[in-house]
Amino acid sequence: MNLADVSRLLVKASSDKFLRLSLDRAILSYWELRKSVFAKYPRLRELADEVRRVKVSCLDRIEDLTKAAMESVERNGGFAYAAGTAEEARRIVDEIVGDGRVLVKGKSIVSEEVRLREHLAEGGKEVYETDLGEFLVQFMGPKSMHFITVSIHLNRERIAEFLRGFLGVDVDGDDVEGMVSLVRGFLRRKYFEADVGISGANVFAADEGCAFIMENESNVRLSISLPRKHIILVGMDKVVPTMGDAWRVVEVITRYSGYKVSSYVNLVRGPQRDMGPGELHVIFLDNGRIESSRDPLLREALLCLRCGACQYLCPVFWMVAGYWGGLKSVYSGGIGVIWEYITGSKEEAGKHSFACLLCGRCKEACPMRIDQARILRGIRSRVMRSEELEQMG
Amino acid sequence: MDLGTLRELMEINASRTRNPLGVSEESCGEWAKGLGIPERGDSVLYTGCLYQMVPRIRALSGLLKRLESLGPSFLGAAMKMDKLMLSLGLDAAGLLRPPGGRYLSLLRRIALALRTSGIDFAYIRREPYNGVLYHDLGMDSLFEAQVKRVVERLYGAGARRVITVDPHTTYMLRYLVGEHIESFDLEVVHYTELLLERGYEPRPQGGMEATLHDPCYFARWNGLIEQPRELLERAGIHLKEPEFSREFTGCCGGPIESIFPRLSSEIAKKRFEELKSTGSGCVIVSCPICLVNLERESKGTGVRVLDLAEVLL
Repeated sequence: MNLADVSRLLVKASSDKFLRLSLDRAILSYWELRKSVFAKYPRLRELADEVRRVKVSCLDRIEDLTKAAMESVERNGGFAYAAGTAEEARRIVDEIVGDGRVLVKGKSIVSEEVRLREHLAEGGKEVYETDLGEFLVQFMGPKSMHFITVSIHLNRERIAEFLRGFLGVDVDGDDVEGMVSLVRGFLRRKYFEADVGISGANVFAADEGCAFIMENESNVRLSISLPRKHIILVGMDKVVPTMGDAWRVVEVITRYSGYKVSSYVNLVRGPQRDMGPGELHVIFLDNGRIESSRDPLLREALLCLRCGACQYLCPVFWMVAGYWGGLKSVYSGGIGVIWEYITGSKEEAGKHSFACLLCGRCKEACPMRIDQARILRGIRSRVMRSEELEQMG
Repeated sequence: MDLGTLRELMEINASRTRNPLGVSEESCGEWAKGLGIPERGDSVLYTGCLYQMVPRIRALSGLLKRLESLGPSFLGAAMKMDKLMLSLGLDAAGLLRPPGGRYLSLLRRIALALRTSGIDFAYIRREPYNGVLYHDLGMDSLFEAQVKRVVERLYGAGARRVITVDPHTTYMLRYLVGEHIESFDLEVVHYTELLLERGYEPRPQGGMEATLHDPCYFARWNGLIEQPRELLERAGIHLKEPEFSREFTGCCGGPIESIFPRLSSEIAKKRFEELKSTGSGCVIVSCPICLVNLERESKGTGVRVLDLAEVLL
């Protein structure tokens, strides 16, 4: 297995001056916010430990919990599905969308994992990301660079140039608010045109069949309340037993992301009778999760809340952002390499696992204290043991 | 970098010298020459050989970085060439080896400080490498074989307690050995813990100002955070803390040097900048890997990088 391509990619990213400047700003700002959040909420660590205990207990019964969540969804009048693979998830979405033409989406890493947007576009649908950063990544590429700050790699001059071409209007590259407002204006029309709204869920309470969807721009609540159908695509790892557990997860994600309070938390429990979508479809995705929950090396990774704290504080990520993990992978950074190993290409993940310093700052940063270094080293060991090492890629 | 070639190179060197960089066990034990340290005892000072490997790491990392900047294919070809030379018995890396005097004297200082604190200890004349690179690269069978070798030698020397000098060896003996040898029951203590326990009074350095770099394995993985601070304060050193310190310390980049030398160097630069930004003219580290990486980045900046043992003892 040759790592030359990985090395080239990472060295190129690390010599990108703009990227470094953006990362410096974003990471130092996160670090200050984190310190002030921890100063204000000294019991946060204990709360995170409590959530970890709940999440660990979920790993042994991931299938039963999913089943309970599906029953709750059906009881609430929604439709529930279990998708074993990415392909199956795409097929289920196709059936639900039917002859719908326009779709609006909230940012969802799981939908990226199954390449939903690309798939729907290939099928002739118009799909729009409504999170501002994700919208830019959709059209400017190459991939989301962080769980929270997805467009950290794009600068305003390039964004202005893109918007000029995309919207066909004059755009002032120094007027950030003006650019935001132009995108909002464009998307506002799409919310009303859309037949289907798609979202992920940050956590899902099995007892009440309730999805918790967090956001900062209010775009998700428009995406999932204006179209007549709402599809939630959620990983089986996101299901917790009760509403109380889910609230605690929301609090931990918020605070470890560097916020004192989340701007918006949407609770979706079933279809709406008068206003809002009359149909709710919830797809629970396996795609390697059940198998990994039984794998002693990988199971801890399923505790990940996608708060992005580990990515912000990883020394490698600070140099290269989401390029660590590769452009073929949806996930980024150390935890991203592990998730690529679980849900995508083991070979790609194997290559990128060798860029981890094993320094462990991610474990310190992580609310779930996931020992990424141990897992990534274990993946290396699997690579090194493979007999076909010299013939691979 | 071609992983197959790297694996083969590691295997060849391991079978030749039981060391990934071809450093012999005889030369690893040279630090104790003339000190009259016995070869049997309840306490054994085991260095893990990382300090002894620093000159070799420095020579190789410079070479790897230059080769990688010429293009990835040069690096792969050079690795293959090196492998060929090694298999013919010519130690290519050895030709580049500068003298390791500073690192041997550093180990001698630790030994003398322990002795003046009234601690009796033995050492292993043919000192085996600690195996951490095999572990970190995922080469489990080489690591396991090396761990067994280390443990056999320690028991063979009559050890009930092991005194360590670097964070990687400490971590290996405290947390990794148990995964391979169930009956391992030796007490593992880092020399700073022992010196503090014995009330060691370091050489006074009144008025000296220094920035402390917490090595990842030292502070985060072994939890050795207060020990260097207390010892440095006892020496009268005024400590400056960088923004990222203690359990949130930054990495020197060293661990990925053998595979991604240029990225590793960028990370080291970044960490050195963080340390330098405190404004003091001296950075103190307590890990041989951090020492070699941060010192390389300090060239021409007017900032000295010193090992804890060089300041205290």
